[in-house]
Amino acid sequence: MVSLIIRRAAMTLPILFGVTIIVFLLMMVLPGDPAQSFLAEDATAAERDRIRAELGLDRPLPIQYATWLADTVRADFGFSPFRRRSVSSLLAQAWWNTAVLAAASAVVGLAGGVLLGTAAALRRGRLLDKVISFVALTGLSVPSFFIAVVLLIVFSANLGWLPSAGTGMDQGFGTFLKHLVMPMIAGSLGTLAITARVTRASVIDTYGADFVQTLRAKGMSQSQLLGHVAKNAISPVLTTSGLQIGNLLGGAVLIETIFRWPGIGTLVYNAITSRDLLVVQGATLVIALTFVLMNLIVDVAQATIDPRLRQAVH
Amino acid sequence: MAVQAFSAQPVKPTREEHDMTAAISVPDGATVEELRAAWWEADHGADARPFWTEVGRRFVANKAGVAALVFLLLLTSSAVFAPWIVRADPLVGVATDRLLPPFSPGHLLGTDEQGREMLARLVYGGRLSLATGFVPTAFATFIGTCIGVWAGYKRGISGTILMRTMDMLYAFPAILLAIAIGASLGAGALNSMIAVTIVFIPPIARIAESATRQVAIQEYLEASRLSGAGTLRILRTQVLPNVANQILVYASGLVGVAMLIAAGLSFLGLGSQPPTPEWGYMLNSLRDTIYSAPLLTVLPGLMIFLTSVAFNTASDALREAMDMRLA
Repeated sequence: MVSLIIRRAAMTLPILFGVTIIVFLLMMVLPGDPAQSFLAEDATAAERDRIRAELGLDRPLPIQYATWLADTVRADFGFSPFRRRSVSSLLAQAWWNTAVLAAASAVVGLAGGVLLGTAAALRRGRLLDKVISFVALTGLSVPSFFIAVVLLIVFSANLGWLPSAGTGMDQGFGTFLKHLVMPMIAGSLGTLAITARVTRASVIDTYGADFVQTLRAKGMSQSQLLGHVAKNAISPVLTTSGLQIGNLLGGAVLIETIFRWPGIGTLVYNAITSRDLLVVQGATLVIALTFVLMNLIVDVAQATIDPRLRQAVH
Repeated sequence: MAVQAFSAQPVKPTREEHDMTAAISVPDGATVEELRAAWWEADHGADARPFWTEVGRRFVANKAGVAALVFLLLLTSSAVFAPWIVRADPLVGVATDRLLPPFSPGHLLGTDEQGREMLARLVYGGRLSLATGFVPTAFATFIGTCIGVWAGYKRGISGTILMRTMDMLYAFPAILLAIAIGASLGAGALNSMIAVTIVFIPPIARIAESATRQVAIQEYLEASRLSGAGTLRILRTQVLPNVANQILVYASGLVGVAMLIAAGLSFLGLGSQPPTPEWGYMLNSLRDTIYSAPLLTVLPGLMIFLTSVAFNTASDALREAMDMRLA
């Protein structure tokens, strides 16, 4: 088990390295001078050169990358001239809020998707299956920000049941839940749809396997059988769930912006409008790292459940 | 026994009958082409429909797919011929006619927060929104196919470097990568399309690479190599035709996703710039009016939603039509 974790973790190292390179290049090579944000509109060329030298922008790229990486490993993402705070302190606060929302959405989306998918598979071809398949296709096609706006219109603007902005975290658990419901639903719908589709296909597939026939022939009850099927059908579901966590983290930018949820997404949105590139850079890196880490966890979990996957990679 | 080619109800020959039909008769002095045609006719006569004719027949049989395709065609033509469909200017509004509800006299779908006609803006908005679905997918398919086919055929150092780079891009959630690229390129419709293109290259390259690997071990490829064909010629004449379908089906599923991501980008202000109408941006700019005119806010979102459903349904139908294992 421990050696498995170490082996998988070692495999993610080159990916992590690549992620840092891409994030660095995104902000350094593409147009948009980071020095610009520190300067007044009417800054002279001399002032610009001084700022560029101060930020190390006049040195060759590989050296810039090395310096930047050294800072980044120490969780120093630079300073935001707009917010007048260090980027890492902004990120630390926002990351927690995003993690709470993403985790809640993941639980609802994955659990709901597995339930719906299994139900559809067990009632294959019947009305329930058709309804669930339709819901899944809709959930796949509907943009999360559209659902978010519709939810706001119905439950905030018209019915007035749910608050439209903020987390309500400091006003007790009940208030927090009320704030959480809408962003959670809007965020989890896509995950729910994909998980339901994959689960349905996987359960149907597993039910067709020879070992199920054998177990049936030996007289196993329907509920016991489902347990065996579930264990064998879970692997593809886990694989997509890893990707879905990425979608939840990335989609958070849209959802959080709409519900004014003070997470990384809102931070990125505000940073984009003010062209605060260091914040965008830091946030991109942090979300990508979280994503890679989550996939590592899913990977290990999968190998723990399914012994066939343990031998696959050495 | 004669096989009736192209009869109203083609009879599928049994194995024995099939072999018998392979015995062909041609007039003396027939050219090689005529011989080949006669042989092909005899061998395949029973179901001699070309691949794409068969795919078309199967697609047309799928009602949902046809409905989606018709909807998309209507949408595309209304966007292209917008000036002939709506008379109102989508860019200029009447300040006194702001936020009129749908079905107001003179404004079928009402007016937006600047008094511009919604119908006109929705129809004109389709131009950019549909383009953001098609253009990035097309470019990403081209570039991704080149990368994947090269990497899958050549492998070696260049292939490894290409695919490992793709893996690194994969480590980012798609929409986040698009936002990050969009943010560093700066706002604008073109930049957002570039961002979506970059995001879609890795998945297409992966599909192309694995498809190419399967083709690369086939004997006809070896034969082509032995007869002296160079790498580029083999890729063009042997590999590409055999991996194209698989890539095409996958890419067709990305058009809807591309539109959604692009709409998300312009929702964040990274896409098209005002006053150009685009559905994602319209949804964002009408967001503040959900209390006063909720129906108006829903309209652009509904357009994105319906178009995306249509793209996904059409793509599903295409996939089913092209998968000949499904009877």
